[in-house]
Amino acid sequence: MKKTIYHSIKYKFHLLLFLLLLCGCEDFLEVEEPLGQINSAEVFEDEATATAAVTSLYGKLRDEVLLTGKAEGLGVLMGIYSDEMIYYGFGGEPLDNFYQHQVFPDDLLIENLWNVAYSLIYMCNGVLEGLANSTKLSEESKSQLQGETLFVRAFAYSYLVELFGDIPFPITTDYEVNNKLSKLPIPTIYENIISDLLEAKTLLGTTYISGERVRANKIVATALLARIYLYTEQWELAVAESNTLINNSVISLEPNIESEFLKESTSAMLQFKPKFEGGNTEEASTYLFATGPPPFVSLTPQLIESFEDGDLRRQLWVGEVTDGTETWFYPNKYKLQTNTGTSMEYSIVLRLAEQYLIRAEARAKLGQLTGALEDLNTIRNRAGLMDSEATTQNEILEAISLERYHELFSEFGHRWFDIKRLGIANEILAPIKPGWKPTDIHLPLPENELLMNPNLNPQNPGY
Amino acid sequence: MKNSYRCNLALTGIFAFFLNYNSPIFSQDPPQKTISGIITSGAAPLIGVNVLVKNSTRGSISDLEGQYSIRAAENDTLVFTYVGYKTKEVAVGNVSILNVVMEVDAQALDAVVINAGYYTTTDIKSTGSIDRVTAAEIDKQPINNPLEALQGRVTGVDIIQNSGAPGGGFKVRIRGQNSLMAGNEPLYIIDGVPYDTQTLASAFNSGGIIPFADASPLNAINPESIESIEILKDADATAIYGSRGANGVVLITTKKGKEGKTQIAVSSSTGIAHINRKANLLNTQQYLEVRREAFANDGITVYPAWAYDVNGTWDINRYTDWQKELIGGTANTRQLKAQVSGGSSKTQFLLSGQYQEETTVFPGDYNYDRLTVNSNLSHQGKEDRFKLTFTAGYTLEKNRLPDRDFTQDAQWLPPNAPAVYNAEGNINWENSTWSNPLARLDSKYKQDSKNLISNTVISYSIFDNLEVKVNASYGFSLLESTTAIPHTIYDPAYGLDSGASTLTKSKGNSSYWITEPQIRWQKNFSVNTFDVIIGTTFQQNDIEQGSTMGTGFPTNDFLNNIAAANTRTILEEDKTSYKYQSIFGRINYSYRSRLFLNATGRRDGSSRFGSNNKYGNFGALGAAWIFTKGTDLSWLSFGKLRGSYGLTGNDQIGDYQYLDTYALQDYPYDGNIGLVPARLYNPNFKWEKIIKREAALELQFLENKIALSVAYYNNRSSNQLINYALPGTTGFSSIQANLNAEVENSGFEFEVNGTLLKNDNFSWNGSFNLSLPQNRLLAFPGLENSSYANRYIIGEPLNIVKLYQLEGVNPETGIFEFNDFNGDGALSSEGDRQYITDLSPKFFGGLSNSLSYKNWSLDFLFQFAKKKGYNQYRYTEPPGIMLNHFESVLDRWQQPGDQAHMQRFTTGENYEAYLAYSRFTQSSGVISDASFIRLRSIKLAYNLVVNRDKGTSCRVYLQGLNLLTISNFEGGDPEQLKGFIPPLRRITLGVQLDM
Repeated sequence: MKKTIYHSIKYKFHLLLFLLLLCGCEDFLEVEEPLGQINSAEVFEDEATATAAVTSLYGKLRDEVLLTGKAEGLGVLMGIYSDEMIYYGFGGEPLDNFYQHQVFPDDLLIENLWNVAYSLIYMCNGVLEGLANSTKLSEESKSQLQGETLFVRAFAYSYLVELFGDIPFPITTDYEVNNKLSKLPIPTIYENIISDLLEAKTLLGTTYISGERVRANKIVATALLARIYLYTEQWELAVAESNTLINNSVISLEPNIESEFLKESTSAMLQFKPKFEGGNTEEASTYLFATGPPPFVSLTPQLIESFEDGDLRRQLWVGEVTDGTETWFYPNKYKLQTNTGTSMEYSIVLRLAEQYLIRAEARAKLGQLTGALEDLNTIRNRAGLMDSEATTQNEILEAISLERYHELFSEFGHRWFDIKRLGIANEILAPIKPGWKPTDIHLPLPENELLMNPNLNPQNPGY
Repeated sequence: MKNSYRCNLALTGIFAFFLNYNSPIFSQDPPQKTISGIITSGAAPLIGVNVLVKNSTRGSISDLEGQYSIRAAENDTLVFTYVGYKTKEVAVGNVSILNVVMEVDAQALDAVVINAGYYTTTDIKSTGSIDRVTAAEIDKQPINNPLEALQGRVTGVDIIQNSGAPGGGFKVRIRGQNSLMAGNEPLYIIDGVPYDTQTLASAFNSGGIIPFADASPLNAINPESIESIEILKDADATAIYGSRGANGVVLITTKKGKEGKTQIAVSSSTGIAHINRKANLLNTQQYLEVRREAFANDGITVYPAWAYDVNGTWDINRYTDWQKELIGGTANTRQLKAQVSGGSSKTQFLLSGQYQEETTVFPGDYNYDRLTVNSNLSHQGKEDRFKLTFTAGYTLEKNRLPDRDFTQDAQWLPPNAPAVYNAEGNINWENSTWSNPLARLDSKYKQDSKNLISNTVISYSIFDNLEVKVNASYGFSLLESTTAIPHTIYDPAYGLDSGASTLTKSKGNSSYWITEPQIRWQKNFSVNTFDVIIGTTFQQNDIEQGSTMGTGFPTNDFLNNIAAANTRTILEEDKTSYKYQSIFGRINYSYRSRLFLNATGRRDGSSRFGSNNKYGNFGALGAAWIFTKGTDLSWLSFGKLRGSYGLTGNDQIGDYQYLDTYALQDYPYDGNIGLVPARLYNPNFKWEKIIKREAALELQFLENKIALSVAYYNNRSSNQLINYALPGTTGFSSIQANLNAEVENSGFEFEVNGTLLKNDNFSWNGSFNLSLPQNRLLAFPGLENSSYANRYIIGEPLNIVKLYQLEGVNPETGIFEFNDFNGDGALSSEGDRQYITDLSPKFFGGLSNSLSYKNWSLDFLFQFAKKKGYNQYRYTEPPGIMLNHFESVLDRWQQPGDQAHMQRFTTGENYEAYLAYSRFTQSSGVISDASFIRLRSIKLAYNLVVNRDKGTSCRVYLQGLNLLTISNFEGGDPEQLKGFIPPLRRITLGVQLDM
């Protein structure tokens, strides 16, 4: 090292300049994304990740939100809440509160039911925002994914509004908006759901995008729309929507009710693909039992006794266990609890039989009694029963209601939602449930939710 | 020695250096004669005075009697230097005996250079709160981790060791807990390198034996290689560390080569270690009495088939002291160290190697060993303008432990449980009536780590008062751990084979670099002195972590090879990056060396924060005034008032939290991966801010014989990063956001040091320190509705717990009763856990003494703390269940009318009693006084001079750690983490040879 260089003023000046320049690197703080995470915007610039973000919505429904076949799903919760199932757990547990109609606003189950559903809605809103800003995705896949997401969101809202009544309706991911939302009245919620489903219908095609019937298409959106029209008593529209499904060539009523809940069931419009290769349904693990008394839930004697003699559904969809003196019954629609290498049963979320009963009911309401009976009898005949003997409008409606009880039991709380909308919950539950109060028609809003967002007041009546 | 090859490796390196000792660089000119003499302070001989022949590399050191000898020529000059005394130069001339009297330097306080990180200061000039622990103090105790050296020695620093098993971590709080949710760890800087102390161990396989899987990376720093540890506490000292200085800064400086004679030091020690306090458990007779009474209380007359302990299945006369059996072993420790150091006035070097081995107190063949090599080389150019220092430390650690700690088993196993081995010497399963804890010994935890820290500092003085300096470092840590669980740990009755064996393998890899160019300008204008530093920092840390689990092996012979597993699951794979950039500066002004002003500041940028908040500004102002300067008080030799005020930050919130991302999660569907939003996106969150204030008074009396300092501090942290609870309609239960919550830490710190006695043969130095910390939550908007509602109370410390209030045992029913605070006739967690108690220490401190008499020296340190803690009952089941219990349960209710401290025994069949006991474990009944006074360390040493001419000396010493603990606490060691072995009691015998 030469002294002359060290002592040159110019050199020193350059060194100082160099140091100052070092201070100015703006980009230095940029870091690569962590492994296992993808920037939200990038998720929707790639077909595979955008699709994964949407299919994860079904995954959530299957594993934890509302329609899961596990203990915290509506099948069990609203089953024990109505006259479908008996609960055998310990007193004081959150599920027992449902069974006894002693639900409290601070029940963990209530909070969980609410939170996971709104978490799913947040995800839907995130996907919709992401897709809207996406530049690289083809219009075709954008439409498909948007349509599916709108369907899932409408699906979740349709259950929430029936469970809780007036509810907040977030349509954005902005937490500063969502944390102070007020409730919307039930009719407005339904208007929103219907408009989402109509949009979904225009966005979606009639083919099942992945081959199997595990993701929403136009048929699926139509099926939900028909149900919503029924629930909102728009009879003509309900008939129109169910018509398109019943007359559709892609799906047809499974002639053999033994095959109704198999993976290949032709009645299925939307199924949940099992989590693992070779896996089957959560419902089987939840409902089946081999010895009595039942460890968890069983079907009520009211349901069992109401079946007519010779009803194939009583024989094939209900299982029995006896200890010699007492007999218990369980839903036996899904029979496989273990991994079978190749999956045999998929949990069926929407199926054609419901559409026949929707059309029957809507027709009956419109006074088209022959058509109503025709649809009712299609379902009865398939179950090995003779044509219904009902003749008047009221008799036919009652027969349809009973038929729904027999056809749709243990499926996502259909029975509860039926007796609720038909206004017969009080009449049916008061005699058999000592804890029943007419205000139990809606669940309470979660206590914490009201504390953190006072705009959600008042609490539902009775809580 | 099992690992002797590693030991040899260390020594080979050192001795290779020895052989080079005669190479031309260090060879000595032939001296003409031997000069010898005695160096005194006028009153007493001075030991360890450095004697050097000017302009040469020849040096010597005075011995215990102050004697020295050195070879020099007549025209040479000898230079005598000694800390606290003025340097003296004496021409040799024609004498051969040269006695020297050294003069005390009035500026003695100035002689001890204190490392403040980017600059150095002295006790006189310092405007901030910096505590210092030196090598001399560290050497006084047989410890494995540098943090242990600080326990009881430094005010305001509360350190608790998580486990007595080697390799574990520590909880360190400097002046209390500042943050509700973010990290509260201090910043560690080793030789100028910020050292990431976040563990690389994985919870997937380390948690069973190492509490919180926190294998402390500081274990890689051998305490013996440390020259000093400085603890920076107040704003003045920490603000220059900006966003990372909030929780204090710990600066660790390793030993450096010094100018002078080449010195060789070899030391070796061996010792034993045990757990220091056993719990008082029931013996077989007492235990069976408890069990039988429980059955009788519950109205059960026929013992059930599974009650093996009382129904005759097990021998009712058998007794095993499970604590002795499972954690009562003796750990052996062994240490070997060699160091060579020295150098000329231009070039100094140091090379040291150390090998250490320690077994455990558990049964079975387990051990920890560590090999460290430290090297250091400094060079100065001819005119001292150019300076270069290179420091590197490399550590290999190997830890072999059982995969879980047996402390819990030792406490719970019934004392009449069967023998661990059967007559054939195999694991005894006693016909499947118990789970033999020793079967667990087959499952092994292995941890191997490598650690490098290297640092280069290059500086050049452009002008006399302007220096340019670059500090550049690189380092890495690698940690690999495996837990192998063979099927043999399970009862053979299950019929398992190696198909059930599992292996979990984790790997963590962290690497970092940092570079810090700086400019320093110093200037004296008569009475005004300026010292200015400006610098920048660029730093990057990358961490990769992964864990894989293999299940099912063809045979257990392949259990250590994950490739042989039937199924392999990837448990974790992660890679993160952290980048950091900043500009910092310091302006120091002093007036007549009596008034000092110090301004520090830093502008920090960090990749941990969103684009809106990547940068933050921090700074502090400190001032000191020496009011004794210019006055002449006979009793007060030094007096200083100082104070500081400033802002620092806390960025310990993890990486990437601001990103708007989707994460892989377990919702695969229809052939697609599960991809869900990772978190609510908050691009706006930023640093926690801590405003620190301090005022202190430092005094020295009687010619600096007694020193006293008192400091008051008040730190307030705001802008707290918390998980802010949100309504579910937002899609998430919370968002990480800055909340205007405020936490205050304040307190007094006292320190007294003194030379109590000093004469020719005897000296006695003592020091005492005391910290009185106070912690309070000042504000927390919306606390009632937040997820923190049951944890914190405004106005109370953060470390409170809310419990049921125990009212005692109902004399009629014999069952515990609690205060029904809300009077609703029922006990509920929300309504009735209203008994509030604070578990943080009220005060803590230490008392240390150093005595020496002729060649003997004795050092001891007492550590004390006043606090409350969870007692033995905290994590227990009711007495009467098939688990052993503490002897204290015998004072129990037996019949109506009894007044007792323990409720009726139950086997669990009495639901009411069972429920009451479970509430009892969450009540005021499990809080006890956990105050203690501990003889933390003691060391007795004898110095032996072997050869005065060559400066050879030998020292033999006996050390003890945690020898005695005085406490009323009944749950074992008062600082023990429940379920893990307490810090060990150690006794070590060692010898050190200096040449």
